[in-house]
Amino acid sequence: MGTCLCRCKRERRNPVPQNANRRLQRRARNSHLAVEEVQECYLPAAGAPWWKSMSSKAVDILVLDTLKIIGSLMENEQEPPEVLMKLHNIADQEEGWLQVVQSMVNVIPIDEPLGPAVITLLLDDCPLPNKEAVLKLSRIFNLSHQSAVVKSQRSIRQQRNICIILGVLAEKLSGPSSVAILTPGTLAYLVANLEENSDATVTLFSLVALEKFAQTSENKATIMRALLAVAGGNPLLRLEKLIDSKDLIESQVGFCAQWCLDNLFITEGRKYSYEKVDMSNINAMLNISDVSEYLKISPDGLEARCDAHSFESVRCTFQVDSGVWYYETTILSSGVMQIGWATRNSRFLNHEGHGIGDDEFSLAFDGCRQFIWYNASNHSQSKVRWKPGDTLGSIIDLNKPMIYFYLNGEQVASSDLVFQEARSGFFAAASFMSFQQCRFNFGSEPFKYPPPGLFFGHTINSFNDHGSLSAEKRIVLPRHLQLESLRQMSVKEDSCTICFDDRANRALRPCGHKGFCERCSYMLNECPICRAAIECIVEEDPETPDT
Amino acid sequence: MAALPRRIIKETQRLLQEPVPGISAVPDDANARYFHVIVTGPEDSPFEGGLFKLELFLPEDYPMSAPKVRFITKIYHPNIDRLGRICLDILKDKWSPALQIRTVLLSIQALLSAPNPDDPLANDVAELWKVNEVEAIRNAKEWTRRYAMDN
Repeated sequence: MGTCLCRCKRERRNPVPQNANRRLQRRARNSHLAVEEVQECYLPAAGAPWWKSMSSKAVDILVLDTLKIIGSLMENEQEPPEVLMKLHNIADQEEGWLQVVQSMVNVIPIDEPLGPAVITLLLDDCPLPNKEAVLKLSRIFNLSHQSAVVKSQRSIRQQRNICIILGVLAEKLSGPSSVAILTPGTLAYLVANLEENSDATVTLFSLVALEKFAQTSENKATIMRALLAVAGGNPLLRLEKLIDSKDLIESQVGFCAQWCLDNLFITEGRKYSYEKVDMSNINAMLNISDVSEYLKISPDGLEARCDAHSFESVRCTFQVDSGVWYYETTILSSGVMQIGWATRNSRFLNHEGHGIGDDEFSLAFDGCRQFIWYNASNHSQSKVRWKPGDTLGSIIDLNKPMIYFYLNGEQVASSDLVFQEARSGFFAAASFMSFQQCRFNFGSEPFKYPPPGLFFGHTINSFNDHGSLSAEKRIVLPRHLQLESLRQMSVKEDSCTICFDDRANRALRPCGHKGFCERCSYMLNECPICRAAIECIVEEDPETPDT
Repeated sequence: MAALPRRIIKETQRLLQEPVPGISAVPDDANARYFHVIVTGPEDSPFEGGLFKLELFLPEDYPMSAPKVRFITKIYHPNIDRLGRICLDILKDKWSPALQIRTVLLSIQALLSAPNPDDPLANDVAELWKVNEVEAIRNAKEWTRRYAMDN
């Protein structure tokens, strides 16, 4: 028997407010709970689905209305809006779903930052279509090499929206249905959009769609063959060179092409980007072991992009505990990103739509909705909306303490709310909605809007001047190589039955169940084996027989 | 990608080496926390002969919190709603970190064998299941044929 470690000394805090905002996705996700009620309100007595009498124009208007209100879907207790419920209800039937999808293609404008978010949100929330519905949709789209080349057939907007929709469906329906949607015509269309003289936006979203189709391995092989068959060679090899383009859409194309070549469409004779990148001057970067799973990180660890439908987050490698610190971010896309500061306690709940600024351990600025976010509620509205190419700067002053945000050198917001919970242990951190991208500068390059040398009498520091990275930390390994190295890990015999990480040297009293490590045993609310209440936890060697 | 806990690696290895009969669970190529799951409809149930696709996701604090599981294939069942969400106590308040992906999937398979209309998630389905079980079962078989057999 060992020491009794009394349970009452370790009140565990639950950092996730149950009622908190879960970004746009979550708001909308709640809305289908009320579908039955809506159905009752709108169902004509005769029993025919009410929407059958609606014109396609009326559905277009519902989609546009959703777009209008989506930016304001953030008050915690707000009921899900009626338009969303109506759309869900329409899309519940195959015919209605096809109508909603076509309306999205036709009406979501290209310059509305939340447009792509509306598409992913609606498709994500509506019941998934079956294979027949998806095949019907392919026939309606009727895509081919021709539809990419004849520019007059569809507007850039329609083409972009189609590509987003294809990508979301490919992701949601991975497997046989994803193979079925990738008809030879659709594949020829997407690949033709990668060729020169295509509109950069259409190229970008075609590339993202191909990436999502390739999540199904049969598609991956088909796409690879199609890429290699392009006259003039694999178009991705040309596109990845656009990464340094001054045009911000083109540079996103370059980023995605490079990511695809490193992670998905591995091409013989091409070196991985991480083997080529010069990291000699970089002493602080995005932390590759402190990031949610779908965020894409550039080989130099300073640029991040999300193409998933979840809300992806990352922290920097460098921790600040005192003093005044500054970093900058170049905004590359105009949608929702929450960029700011977080301690280790801030959790990345990407699938719940929680990120930086959504708990009490982080605070962030979102220049799309023009708010500071803290604990999932919005504060301190700013007057300006960010646009691609803008520079967001942020100072954390741990003496005062206060956090300041600057857009192109002008202060747009400030807050000290996060210091209620923590006074040290901060990291630069950010969260991204679908199709958002930005580039961080932690001081390895000159700042675009350098802060004054002294800030209220204190020197302003950059992470890069004070940080250091081990050789291993600097490598942004492609995912398949990373997973490979993880799978080779082995597990020791006497390891904890819950985490398999640490030694199992704790037992529970009074039930006597054991096989847990110190860390896990403290996280238990009741015995995981018999659900008995835990009065105390005792230290016990795994070899010692139970008394 | 965040470091993958050993617990997940270990469970994944075992799922692949000793699969559960009637269930396949394969981790996604790009995301080791996301599993593509196929459950075969149990014998002597209205779901017999169907192949049901599910998605299973292990949240950041797994195994301290339950996996998130959802039916992707449409299914007519009183404890599964039209969005595929499952009403199952071990996925909610009865979760225990001693449970695993394997035990969760077995419970879901058992739920297909024994629908429980008294604890409904899909109200209209549960209602019919209670007042006219014969018709409810007919619907369940029809949906199985229509949505779970076409691939």
